[in-house]
Amino acid sequence: MVYSVSDLILIACGYLFFLFMVAWITERGWLPARLVRHPAVYVFSLGVYASAWAVYGSVGYAYQYGYNFLSYFLGISGVFLLAPILLAPILRLTTTYQLSSLADLFAFRYRSRLAGAMTTIIMLIGVLPLLALQLKAVAESIQILSGTADPRDLAAGFCLMMVIFAILFGARHATAREKHEGLVVAIAMESLIKLLAFGAVALLGLYGVFDGPESLGNWLDDHPEMLSRLYYPLQDGTWHSMIMAFFVSAVVLPHMFYMAFTENLNPRALITASWALPLMFLVMALCVPVILWAAAASNAPTSPDYYALGIGMVTGGHGAILGYIAGLAGASGMLIVATLALSGMCLNHLVLPASPLHQGKNLYRNLLWTRRILIAAILALAYLFYRFTGTEHTLVELGVLSFVATLQFVPGLIGALFWPSGNRNGLFAGLVVGFLLWLLLLLLPITYPQWQFQGLMELLGMRFQTGASQWHHVAIASVTANTLIYAIVSIVTPMSRAEQNAAQACAVDSLRRPYRWELEAKSVDDFIDALTQPLGPITATREVEMALRDLRLPRTETRPYALRRLRDQLETNLSGLLGPSVSHQLMDDHLPYLPEEEQSSSEDIQFIESRLEQYRDRLSGLAAELDGLRRFHRQTLLELPMGVISLGADREIIGWNRAMEELTGITAADTIGSRLADLDPPWGDFLTQFSHDDNPHQPQQSLEVDRQTRWLSLHKSEVLGTGTSEQAGGQVVVIEDITELRHMEAHLAHNERLASIGRLAAGVAHEIGNPVTAIACLAQNLDSETDAEEQLESSQQILEQTRRITRIVESLVTFSHSGGIKHSQHVPVNIRDTVDEAVSLLLLDPDHRQQPFNNQCEPEHWVQGDPQRLLQVFINLLGNAADASADKQPVIIRCEAADEVLDVIVEDQGHGIPDELRDALFEPFVTSKPPGRGTGLGLALVYSIIEEHLGAIRVESPITEQGGTRFIIRLPMHAPTSGV
Amino acid sequence: MYTDRLLIIFILGTYLLSPAIIDWWSEGGRAWYRPYLIWLGLIALSYWIAKSKDVDGL
Repeated sequence: MVYSVSDLILIACGYLFFLFMVAWITERGWLPARLVRHPAVYVFSLGVYASAWAVYGSVGYAYQYGYNFLSYFLGISGVFLLAPILLAPILRLTTTYQLSSLADLFAFRYRSRLAGAMTTIIMLIGVLPLLALQLKAVAESIQILSGTADPRDLAAGFCLMMVIFAILFGARHATAREKHEGLVVAIAMESLIKLLAFGAVALLGLYGVFDGPESLGNWLDDHPEMLSRLYYPLQDGTWHSMIMAFFVSAVVLPHMFYMAFTENLNPRALITASWALPLMFLVMALCVPVILWAAAASNAPTSPDYYALGIGMVTGGHGAILGYIAGLAGASGMLIVATLALSGMCLNHLVLPASPLHQGKNLYRNLLWTRRILIAAILALAYLFYRFTGTEHTLVELGVLSFVATLQFVPGLIGALFWPSGNRNGLFAGLVVGFLLWLLLLLLPITYPQWQFQGLMELLGMRFQTGASQWHHVAIASVTANTLIYAIVSIVTPMSRAEQNAAQACAVDSLRRPYRWELEAKSVDDFIDALTQPLGPITATREVEMALRDLRLPRTETRPYALRRLRDQLETNLSGLLGPSVSHQLMDDHLPYLPEEEQSSSEDIQFIESRLEQYRDRLSGLAAELDGLRRFHRQTLLELPMGVISLGADREIIGWNRAMEELTGITAADTIGSRLADLDPPWGDFLTQFSHDDNPHQPQQSLEVDRQTRWLSLHKSEVLGTGTSEQAGGQVVVIEDITELRHMEAHLAHNERLASIGRLAAGVAHEIGNPVTAIACLAQNLDSETDAEEQLESSQQILEQTRRITRIVESLVTFSHSGGIKHSQHVPVNIRDTVDEAVSLLLLDPDHRQQPFNNQCEPEHWVQGDPQRLLQVFINLLGNAADASADKQPVIIRCEAADEVLDVIVEDQGHGIPDELRDALFEPFVTSKPPGRGTGLGLALVYSIIEEHLGAIRVESPITEQGGTRFIIRLPMHAPTSGV
Repeated sequence: MYTDRLLIIFILGTYLLSPAIIDWWSEGGRAWYRPYLIWLGLIALSYWIAKSKDVDGL
């Protein structure tokens, strides 16, 4: 069946419009995020690898080179089967440092703009034949199906469509940090359509040309030459070089790098792709021999490259359209993604370093438009390549040109990941030699057959075959020369320090060892000011704020450690926008570190530790054992029940353990990386003073924290460097909080004083009691024996004074008896009733008759204790409260139950307790009452009784601005189950 | 510290076994699908590895 050109163009437009809609719907967020980020979408999007080469070229390749065609599919399958080892490190690097292409990776790893530029140029030249292949495939398929039109004009039209679509969905954001979800889903859909259409063509061959697998088997029996044609090329030894070429191209080809790493929406999907992508390519590869045999059996009227169309043309119906759509899907997907990737590379490595574009006012718009122009330019170049050289060559020849070109990046890539000693000189030398060999031995002989290089070689006494048929020799020769030169030059030439750092950052088996250099900028505002000059105020502010958000740092950040992280993050983010070389230069020019002579740099241990945490799963053997040991020591230090601070040589805090967090209330995250002096008061001055003090031990230092005195013992020790300049030593400070110990000592001393006073009181009471009784008797006698007014008054006064002495003696006796009560005599005591009883007793006293008492305790509040002694406690406390209160000021008694304790709170609104008495309030003979009104034994007695009841008492005064005192008695609650 | 043992074993194994595999494959005759069987076996192995552990903390 013959189609008109307009029909075929309409199908192409319709197909692209359908993809456009898929991408548009995704961009609008109409598809659920779960679906968009599903690993299957990622796997299918990687199907972009299967370009028109897979649909058309591989059948032609199978016809020409037999089973060697499988190397195309096995190469990428091998790469993804080894994804956890080969691709995961690249994915980690590209996401960590915002690297969007191989050129970005090389420029970052080799710290060289030239490396990026050279990679871009070689990649662009190398991939042009592959782009031209796609244009040729689509144009020629239209020509075959229509039988008329000039494919060169068709290719021009198709090229234009590709420009529009690539810009619409790939160049709408300026920075690589924003993923193109629409593009990813559209490309995934494209791969699915490609797979289904290609599979349908194979099924058409199997059941349309043959009558199923059995019929195919019979046909093969009748045509053994078809099978031997398939097997024979396996013996010629090109197998290994082919696998290698396709293996490498699956990673370094710009569209594969872009889809696998730059547009990766879900890193874990890479693991799914490790088996799912090989499965997808297995299905495609399975279709190839079936299509080949079906076309051969049916004498398809096309060249082997287009057998996928030929089968449909032979079987009739619209079968040919299936092959056409499969080819269209393969070609358009590859063209769009490769062009986007190449435009990014050209922008970052050729345009930006050479132009002041990033200094313009509207940076984002400039970048976007430049990128769009580059997309159009690259596709135009691909068209020109096709127009002037590609029309005469088979798809196989064009594909081979590109695949061998990409091989030249192998030594550089392996060096970047696995060999930290590889340097930029080696890369340049290797790339130049490898590229020249490719150019002279493959590109020129294929595109200009009149090129007489072979004659030149023979003149030099070398016999070397060039051209497409000998491509595997060229591949081996160029890669071997490239690798050897890369290795030799890297070994004999020196490496800069910046390159060494970048090499460590990229290397799979080592950690970056950054140094704690100090920045000239001291605050976030300094950062914005510094970047305003190159980026403009709006972009500078936006980028700094974005980096702060990424790191979850506040705008007020001034810690040197945090500012260093901010600089790294900014460099990473700007790398996504401007490429790593421009970004690195920008940072060096505008946010420089202090000159080395002005600072003592040492290793950034904190950063190394955080990296080690990330790499935990990747350690094995001795390294894992050492890491386990490191963790154990670190944990020991962290959990040590004493505060430990580690300081670097420049007195920056590099360690702050849990005990320090509890002691100071400042978290490690807030302190790490700052200087001691920057800590919140009072810790900053206190610790700085000690750190600089000559005395390494300062026991029992007092420090006022939150209006409370804390007692601390401080010790420090200098940590000497281990000999290398990287570890300049530092200081370790150990802080012991002895506040509790001090309180306990004071408590013991207090109890001891009470006990000795008790013994003294008992003796005094006994000794004084007898003479006082005698004096009282004598005074009573005197009273009864005389009528003289004066003597009577004297005797009354004597009696009054002896009663007073008796009261004092009685209270001394009571006090001295405290502590003698056994806990076994304790019974459940209802606090509310006890308080009521104390109140009613107090109200008998004429002094307290007008005093309002407000007992708010609940009837269910019970404690275990001695009712009489607890009554004594409340009489003393309430009496004191009443004495302190002015008329009609109520005394409030309330209870608060918590867990297994009961807090009984006695509050008055009196004059409060003078500061000088507060600390000694529970000492005997301490009173705020005027002489003659109190003995000063009441509260000491209360204290003793509460202690007996295994409780505690404390005082708060003043409780308001006007005064007031609050006594809080904590007593063990009586459990209600004990049968009250 | 971190050794790509799996990679080394895979490459060495492929190198050592490749002549035997290609011979077996070439003698397939009508069983032209033999390479696909090996391929399918590798995919199953990869699926099992991906399922059995959290590969490289991804």
